[in-house]
Amino acid sequence: MIDIPKPDPSHFAIVVRQLCKEFGGLKAVDGISFDLKRGEFLSVFGPNGAGKTTLIKVLTGLTRPSSGIAKVAGYQVEDGMSEMRRQIGVISHSPALYADLTPMENLVFFGKMYGLDHPQDSALAVLEDVGLAIRRNDQVRTFSRGMLQRLSIARAILHNPSILFLDEPFTGLDIHASNVLKEHLQTLHDNKRTILMTTHDISCGLEMCDKVALQVMGKFAFFKDIKDVDKENFEALYFDAVRNNQFTMDIRPN
Amino acid sequence: MAIVWKDFVTEFKTRELFSAMFIFALLVILIFIFSVNLSIVKASEVGPGILWVAFLFSGTLGLNRSFVLEKENGCLMGLILAPADRTTIYFGKLISNFVFLTAMELFILPLFMVFFNIDLLEHLLPLLLVIFLGTLGFCTLGTLLSSLSSNLKTREIMLPILLYPLLVPIVIGVVRMTGQILAGEPLSGMMNWIGLTASFDVIYIGVSIMTIDHILEE
Repeated sequence: MIDIPKPDPSHFAIVVRQLCKEFGGLKAVDGISFDLKRGEFLSVFGPNGAGKTTLIKVLTGLTRPSSGIAKVAGYQVEDGMSEMRRQIGVISHSPALYADLTPMENLVFFGKMYGLDHPQDSALAVLEDVGLAIRRNDQVRTFSRGMLQRLSIARAILHNPSILFLDEPFTGLDIHASNVLKEHLQTLHDNKRTILMTTHDISCGLEMCDKVALQVMGKFAFFKDIKDVDKENFEALYFDAVRNNQFTMDIRPN
Repeated sequence: MAIVWKDFVTEFKTRELFSAMFIFALLVILIFIFSVNLSIVKASEVGPGILWVAFLFSGTLGLNRSFVLEKENGCLMGLILAPADRTTIYFGKLISNFVFLTAMELFILPLFMVFFNIDLLEHLLPLLLVIFLGTLGFCTLGTLLSSLSSNLKTREIMLPILLYPLLVPIVIGVVRMTGQILAGEPLSGMMNWIGLTASFDVIYIGVSIMTIDHILEE
């Protein structure tokens, strides 16, 4: 029996209890439990194959959990999918944008899919937010990786979600694009959006977050407030986890 | 309708889908024209089979491309994350595929008429009804299976292998009806075939609604 406290739904954005996702015996997510308050920023680190992307897929309803419970924006993930999806935005490895369409056409399309009243106006507003309004009528195919990532943010925040899931958003970006993206994420965080981000970029991840998790072999081996984290010690833990894909150092899951 | 609008805008810009399907269907008909001796066999006897082979093979090209476009850049994930029901995504893609394939068929029909020296105008309305029923069944099942096979590495091979055996009842029905129409028989004489084809259309739509949720799950 999973013990689920009754958190104030207006207080918690994400509540996860004993969440598991198995693929033919392989536990990609293995008994993860945590809470994230509204407006908090959680950075999840971990080696490749630790199950970070699977965790995001389960929390966003892209795949069903094998067991356990996940509540996002007050909705249990498997039950209130439609309502929950209005509350979340997802930025993934791939931009989820149609290469043959322009940014404007892409965003208007997604605006219609989200049932926005004025998709044209919303699209233009978010394009201005991410600094791409001037390129709104160019084909997405011609965009650099950095511009695609900014456009991806525009798509994710188009419907004004309260929770954002970011899956390794800094992958493949140069330093300038990375800094621009960091600024955008900081602005979103300042605007009280709840953010769950998986990343390998330790400095970026630690700099922006309120909570830190380290996922290894499907489990959260480390979950703390940023104020309780010794950054140098965390780097050592992280590199140890990446090298061995397991913990050899003396730490206890929180 | 947003998905249909998006597919139309994309096709208007690229013209990939329609041109590929049209050229392929035309080539199939041309190959058969040179391999069939029309002085020995009647065009109304071999014509229906050739016409539907051209429609189905070129339609398969379109179906393969249809969901590959959604998989590129992870767009399908973006669609699935939208609060719309997954059957809405299915029906959006179904309508797009149906319209593109029907448009291609309407362009092929006059060429078929010229190549086989058959007067289709006499039987145009019954023929259009049969084409509607056949194309609907093909697109209904094809859209479902292309969404399934789009996750596979061997999607170009898997789609026809999965699709064609299940299409047999519809193909038999529409080829028989087309043959009877070209032979000048009235539509009232083929109600059994119409019933059979329409029933399979309905069955495939029902199966698609029941299964699309699981198929689109990653």
